[in-house]
This record gives sequence, structure tokens and C-alpha cells, in this order.
Amino acid sequence: MHKLMMLPGSRLVQHAAIALAIWVALTRLNQSVDPLLSYYLALVGMYATAMFGMTILVGLSGQVSLGNGALMAVGGYAFALTSLNWKTVPILGLPWNAVWSVVFAGIFGILVGLVIGGLAARLKGPYLAGLTLGVAVGVPAIANRFPGLFGGENGLMLTVPYPQGGYDASAVDTGPADTGADAIPTEAPDLPTEQAPIGGESLAPSDLLTVDDLGGAVSSAAPSVAPSDLITPDDLMGATGAPIASMPAEPSALASAGTDLGSTASGGVDAGSVDVSAVGGLILEQWQATLSITMACIMGFVALNLVRSRQGRTWQAVRDDSIAAAVSGINPSRSKVSAFVVSSLFAALAGAVFAQLLTYVGPGAYGLGLSLSLLVGIVLGGRASLLGAIIGAVLLVWLPVVVDRLSADRGWPEPVTNNAPNLLYGLLVVLVVLLAPGGITGTIRQSLAPVLRRRD
Amino acid sequence: MLTVSELSVSYGAVRALANVSLTVPPGEVTAVIGANGAGKSTLMRTLAGLVRPAAGSATLDGQPITGRKAEDIVRMGLALVPEGRSTIPDLTVEENLRLGGLWRNRSDRAASQAEVFDLFPILGQRRHLRADTLSGGERQQLAIGRALMAKPRCLLLDEPSLGLAPLIVTQILELVSGLARNSGLAVLLVEQNAVTALRVATTGIVLNLGEIVQTGPAADIASDEQLRHAYLGY
Amino acid sequence: MTTFIDYLLGGVSSGAIIALMALAIVLIWRSTRVVNFAQVGQAMFTTYVALTVRDATGNWIIALLAAIAAGAVLGLVVHWLVIRPVKRVDTSGAIIATFGVLISLQALAGMLWGGDTRGYAPPVSNDGIQLAGRIWPFSWYDVLVIGVTIALVIGLTLLFTRTNIGLAMRASAFNPEVARLSGVRVSRSLAYGWILAGMVGAIAGVLVAPTSQVSPNSFDILLVFAFTAAVIGGLDSLVGAVTFGIGTGLVISLVSGYSDSSNAPVVALVLLALNLLLKPDGVFGHHHSRAV
Ligand SMILES: Nc1ncnc2c1ncn2[C@@H]1O[C@H](COP(=O)(O)OP(=O)(O)OP(=O)(O)O)[C@@H](O)[C@H]1O
Ligand SMILES: [Mg+2]
Repeated sequence: MHKLMMLPGSRLVQHAAIALAIWVALTRLNQSVDPLLSYYLALVGMYATAMFGMTILVGLSGQVSLGNGALMAVGGYAFALTSLNWKTVPILGLPWNAVWSVVFAGIFGILVGLVIGGLAARLKGPYLAGLTLGVAVGVPAIANRFPGLFGGENGLMLTVPYPQGGYDASAVDTGPADTGADAIPTEAPDLPTEQAPIGGESLAPSDLLTVDDLGGAVSSAAPSVAPSDLITPDDLMGATGAPIASMPAEPSALASAGTDLGSTASGGVDAGSVDVSAVGGLILEQWQATLSITMACIMGFVALNLVRSRQGRTWQAVRDDSIAAAVSGINPSRSKVSAFVVSSLFAALAGAVFAQLLTYVGPGAYGLGLSLSLLVGIVLGGRASLLGAIIGAVLLVWLPVVVDRLSADRGWPEPVTNNAPNLLYGLLVVLVVLLAPGGITGTIRQSLAPVLRRRD
Repeated sequence: MLTVSELSVSYGAVRALANVSLTVPPGEVTAVIGANGAGKSTLMRTLAGLVRPAAGSATLDGQPITGRKAEDIVRMGLALVPEGRSTIPDLTVEENLRLGGLWRNRSDRAASQAEVFDLFPILGQRRHLRADTLSGGERQQLAIGRALMAKPRCLLLDEPSLGLAPLIVTQILELVSGLARNSGLAVLLVEQNAVTALRVATTGIVLNLGEIVQTGPAADIASDEQLRHAYLGY
Repeated sequence: MTTFIDYLLGGVSSGAIIALMALAIVLIWRSTRVVNFAQVGQAMFTTYVALTVRDATGNWIIALLAAIAAGAVLGLVVHWLVIRPVKRVDTSGAIIATFGVLISLQALAGMLWGGDTRGYAPPVSNDGIQLAGRIWPFSWYDVLVIGVTIALVIGLTLLFTRTNIGLAMRASAFNPEVARLSGVRVSRSLAYGWILAGMVGAIAGVLVAPTSQVSPNSFDILLVFAFTAAVIGGLDSLVGAVTFGIGTGLVISLVSGYSDSSNAPVVALVLLALNLLLKPDGVFGHHHSRAV
């Protein structure tokens, strides 16, 4: 990672500013107290995090992988198991908190990524795609194999880590006088521990906080409290019993919302149908969105630095011509493995966020469909562009919503409604590959290129 | 008779052939010689329909062949033996030959195959072996045999000498020029190895950087020392 | 020992189906140098066609023929509309496009036939045959499956070795340029490969339907098994695809028998990973490196 250090400081500041600006804007959007919107934001953040990794793996490094959904499962299960089972951090002996679960999700992601990436680096094209396809199908099946540990087909239920007391509608109005906020100064977690890869950068959550003058308690308290209180299942049960119950009520419905491609068969998938009003506090979704957005912004910052570092150019050099790259002193297989590992880290962290959103981990949620979703998103948005990853993430969430709305207006039969988004995705993927291999961002860039050149 | 007029070919910005005109009369061998990168293979591949020309035309007995597909041109009677022993190693000798005239009816094919075995008896002996078990010389014979299976009126040979012992090359070329004389086949032979090529050819053409710099009786070209020094490098 | 033999016997017919699917993948790889990840999607779709025809006619054979016809058309359509144009662009694109086709077909099937799992009654009994005082884990349906598979393999072998079309297809696969110079219409040969693969896949789909049920996603796992078998067999080799298709079926049957059927995908993954690690060119593969 020493290569990253070579990024000029001004670049880092610039990237941090971009990430921060996006974070602030999304946080503001998240304040609208529309649970549906927040839920969509949360999904977008989750997809974007995973797809930043896909940008690096598929786009820059040129390895078409279908395994990233399974790597998300690794992160999700690591997150769930560590937070459910461990009371202290092994070896260090520190008291457990949810940040550690995120860290461990990342570590497991990296480890599994090393194994698969090590295998994959020797393979090209269809062999790689086929192996990762096997991973996508095989890894979730492991959950079934060890039902005692992984909960089998039913998966594991999680409780949503709530900052105590702060999350009902009134809290939004009453401001920062909630217990959750107390935690900020003392327990402010050292989030950068899991950002080791970006070396030397100093964007801690507390920095984010100080900039945040949006005023609302939720917005300011959330990002800082989030990591510290993430999961302490025991006191969570007591503290926020009622709201939590709402989410696990329909984990399967939500799971299929997130993995549309895997569930052509499933019934109506509609996030809106989760009856939040019955719970009293709408804020659960806002809280989840905050976590997801924060993760996406941090990892987006990491990805931006990686993409624009020398490592980013190395990946592209190997993709374009591995022999020429080798001649110029690059180790092609090391470059490929590193892309795999980095994308695994992204996938695992996204998987941890996903577990949060579903308050559940299970093989069904992380199936082949999820992997395919990530591929669809990255191809539509633009394979080699981080902005493309974001656009792809938005498309993955937004298209089903549009279809739902159309269907409600036009009275489509249920099988049509359920499958229309996937049919669109499939056809769009084919069309994009045929007509606009650069995806949305690539095509826009291409059509703008003459204009920009003229200006020079 | 193959007639080429004003043929030009470009690979992107690289011009590989510029205004090449020549004729290949039946019953004799016409040799095109030139150094590496002179555009010899480009000429052959363009005539065979594998490369699209930028300008110019070629006709075979008056019928235009430029702009047609390779698979149609061979059916019209112009067959190419491309550079580098173009057999299919996974197929047997007999299958390679059958491939050469796949569109023809069974009895025509059988007749052509008999002619090929007459010309190259070794192929008859090895007919059931996979092509990758053949020696280099045998494989070149098979490649020529495959092209002859199309019963062409014009045969293009791209550097048959590549990687073969001079004696074998001479033998093969003698057979081909004999075939030309006896059956009225028009042969266009491309060679870097000018001496061997000009020995069997009636007419010689010198190609340099995509342009024809000299055309004349093969014997004259072979004895033109200036030409040799300037373009053939020996 | 008897259980071991029982498990082996139980794996033969599922192995035969994996072999057919692997054959379809190999047929396309040989002709076009593309792994068609949509192959099981096509098979799933044509199996729904068969289901519909069977509901209408009550005849297993007519339904099978309908599936074969649909498979041929679908193979041709995918090749002409998607693969042929994509191949000129890039290889990653071709892989991605086949997944696009898979997603589309699964969604379309869900739209047309609903997402519920449907059964597919076998034409002959699927119960164990009673012989020599015991019930064997082998049914008349298994006999049918194996018989069809053997007939197909023989038919394909004859097609490739004895007919002009077969020779043209092989030549087009091995060396398209020499094939063109020999007057072969290469793009037509490639299309034949896709048609043939579509038909073989359709047969595999109809044969597997009684044991696996039919739903838009129910063949996904078959894709993994078939790809595993095809790769271990070298991707280029019809013999390899059949051998390792059956082999994969046997291994999966043994593992499922001695432990649990949920292990099957993991076993396939391990087989695939081991093979790719130890023998990057497959067992039967030669000449062609994996750098395609
Ligand atoms: N496919 C191609 N793309 C771009 N340039 C090409 C291509 N094929 C040939 N060239 C270029 O065109 C020129 C002529 O090449 P050609 O192969 O026709 O030469 P040649 O006379 O056959 O050489 P040799 O004796 O080495 O076979 C060369 O400069 C070569 O680099
Ligand atoms: Mg040449």
C-alpha cells in the first residue's frame, strides 16, 4: 500500500472533500423522515459499497467475478457471528462492540478473498467466471451444511443496534439530548482501524461530525454512535425492544428485496409494505441508512484513492496487456490477487451492512441472485467507473420501485410485476454490452469527450 | 488468368500495398519476391478475400473477386495456401483433404483426392494419421493438397519454403510447376527465398514496401545484381 | 458395500444429465470459444415449453420434441442476436452477455409460467426396480435417461466424424481461417454449434425435470455441475464432458449419500478448484491454453 502514499496530499483532501460532501448531502436527504426513502438510501449505500469493489475487480482489473455476493455472505456471517457470540475481543481482551464486528467482517473478507483470488489469478475469462459462479452457489450452501453454527436455511436473526432512546419520531425534533449522544466523546470509535489500506489518511468519523452542522440529533449523533453501539444484543433487546421487532418481522421479504435477481419466484417484494407506522418510530430505516451511507462514503473515499493511485494504473495495465505489464516489471498475478482481495474487503463490509439492513443473515439473502445483481449494476453503470458503481446501485434499487409503481397504475398481474425488473436488467445488460460497453458513465464520457477536447 | 489492377491495402494508417497491378497467366508460375514486410502475404490474403482492399480490383478469368467472401472466392476457383503450413492438426490427413473440397460432390472430390495422392504419394500412405503427426514437408504437401481439392484454376502459395530444407522445397516446387504446365493451373508463388522461386517461375515480380519495383522474365530478375542488392539483400 | 454400490447406481443417471449439459457447454465452446452461462437458462425455458405442450397433449415424446425444437430456435437466436455481435467487442463482454441472457430468460419464464415450482411426471416409473429380492436404487426412468444419453453421444460422434457438416464444424472450431479458405461458411457452422447445443440442453432439461422439479431457478445448480464437468474434461472434449459429467454425478451421489445433499454444491466447487489448480488445462484438454 506504500504506493498510495504517493498520492499528493492535495488529492487526498480533494477526495475527502468529495466523500464528505456526498455524505452530508445524503445525510440531509435521510432526514426527510420518509422511512421508505431511508430504506432505499440504505440499500443504495450497501450496493454501492460492494460495487466499488466490483469497479476495481471487474472494471480496472478485468476479472469478471460472480463471487462477490458470496463474499458479502462472508462479511455478513462474520459480522453476525462475532456480534452474537463474542463478548470480548479475542487476544486483545477488550470489551466487544459492533465496530469490532465490522472489522472482523473485513478481515474475513480479506482472508477468503486471498484464497479465492489466489486461485482466480491463474484463470482467465470463462474459467474465472465459472469458478466464481461455483463460489456464488457453493459458499451460501456452506451455511446449510453447518446449521448449528450458521443457522442453516433459516439463517441467523440479528437485532438492530440502536443508540438507546434516540429513535422515535420525537427525537428528531427534540435535538441532541438523548442518551446515545453521550457516547460520542468518550467512546468515539477509532474507525480508521479498518481503513488501514488507505494509510495515513485522517478522515475519522469525528471529523465528519464536526463538519456536520445540520442540527438534527439523528444526523449528528448517528454516525458517531453507530459504530460504538452497533451491536450489543443484550441491552439492545431491552432498550429498543419494540422497534426492533418490526424489522425481523419480514426478513424474507426484505431479503428478496435485496436480492431481486435470485427471487423471480418470490411473491410481491415491496419495501413499502413493511408497516413501519405500527412500530411507532420511523427512524429505524434512517438509522440503517446512516450506517450504510457512512460505510459507502468511507469506502468510496478508499476506492477513489485506490483507483487514482499507481495501484489503480497497475491493475489497468495488467488488464489491458498482462505480458506488456510483466515486461515493465509488474507482477500480473499479484496485481490480480490484490484486486480480488480489495474487492473482497468491499464486499464483506457491504455484507455486514446488508446484515444490518435485513437484521438477518441467511443463505437466501446472499445467493447467486445477489452476485448477479452486483454484476448487472456495475455493467449498467459503467464497469470501470466509481460513479458508474453509484449509478448502478441507484438503478438496482430504483428500477423495481418504478416497475412497482407502473404495475400498480396499470394493474399488471403479479408474475409480470415480480419479474419485470429482472427482465429489464437482463435485456439492458445485453444491450449495454452490445451497444455501449462503457455503460452509462462510459457512454456519457464518450459523448462529452469531443466537447471537452474543444475547450482545451 | 488472374488479373490484378491498382490494388491498395491499408492496415489503419499503415499502407501495406500501393497500386499493385499484375497478371498471373495459366500454365505457368509467377513469383513475387521481396524482403520481410514487403506486403507479399498481404497481397495473397487480399486476393483470397481475407483482407479488404482500400482500392483496386482483381478478376479471375474476367469475373471480379475483390469484395467477395473468402469462402466464395475459393469456390470460384482461386485457392490460397497461407503462410506457415495451414493444416488442421486435429484432423486426419484425409479429413484435411476432404475439408478442402467440402462443397463439391462426392465423385468430384474422390477424383481430386486421387490426383493429390498421385502428386504427393506420401499423403496416400498417411491418409488415416492425424496431421500433427506429419513432418514439416509432409504437412506443406498436405496444405497444398487441401488447396488442390478445390480444383482451383489459380493457386496462391505463400512462402512454402518457410522452415523447410531447401531440397524438399525444390522438390515440392518442381511438382507444382509441373502441375501448372500440365493442367493449365495459374500459380502465384510468394517467396523471400528468391533463388528457389525464380528457378521454377516464368515471370518474376519484385515487391518493396508495398510497391512493385520490377517485373520481368524470372531469369532476368535472377541475374540482375543491382536489383538483388537493392531489394533482396544478398 | 451394498450402500456404496447403491449410491453409485443412484448417481449414474444424474451424471448422465450433467454429462448432457456439459456436452452442450462444450459444443459451444468448441465452435465459438464462449462459455454459454445461459445454457441452463435456455434448458429451463425449453422445459417449460415441454411442460406446456405436455399439459396440452399429454404426450411425453411430443413434449420432448417441442423442447428440442424450441432449444434449437433459442440457441440460434442467442447466437445471432447476442453472441455474434458481442464477440467482436470483447471477451469479458461475451461472458457478461451470457449472464444477461440467463437473467432475462429466468425473468421471462417467471412472467409466462409463474414462479411456483412445477412437477414433471416421468413417462415411465421412477421407482426403484425390484429384482433378485430387493429394490435397487435404479428405475426404468434412469434406464431411459441413460439410454437417451448414450444414443445422443453416439449420434454426435457420428455427426462429427462422418458428415460434412460435422467436419465443417470441427474445422471452423479449430481454425476458422483455414476453414474459410476451404470454402466453409464458418459463421453458419458456428450457428450449427449453438443450435446443436440448444437441442442437447433441451433434452437434458426435459430429462432432469422429473427429479428436480421445474422453476425459473431450479436448474442453476446444474450449471455449476455441468461447468465443473466440462472444465475438468478440458472444455474442448466431447469425450471428456461425458466422462466427467458422469463422474461428477457419481461423486455427488456418494457425497450426498454418505453425508448430506446440501454438500453437493460445495463438492462441485472443491472439484472445480482442485482441477483448475492442479491441471489448468483440464484432463482431456490439450493444444489450447487457457489464455482465451
Ligand atoms: N494484420 C495487420 N495489421 C497491421 N499491420 C499489418 C498486418 N499484417 C501485416 N501488417 C503490416 O503490413 C506490412 C506487410 O506485411 P506482410 O505480412 O504482407 O509482409 P510479407 O511481405 O508477407 O512479410 P514476410 O516475408 O515477413 O512474410 C508489414 O509492415 C506488416 O507489419
Ligand atoms: Mg508473409
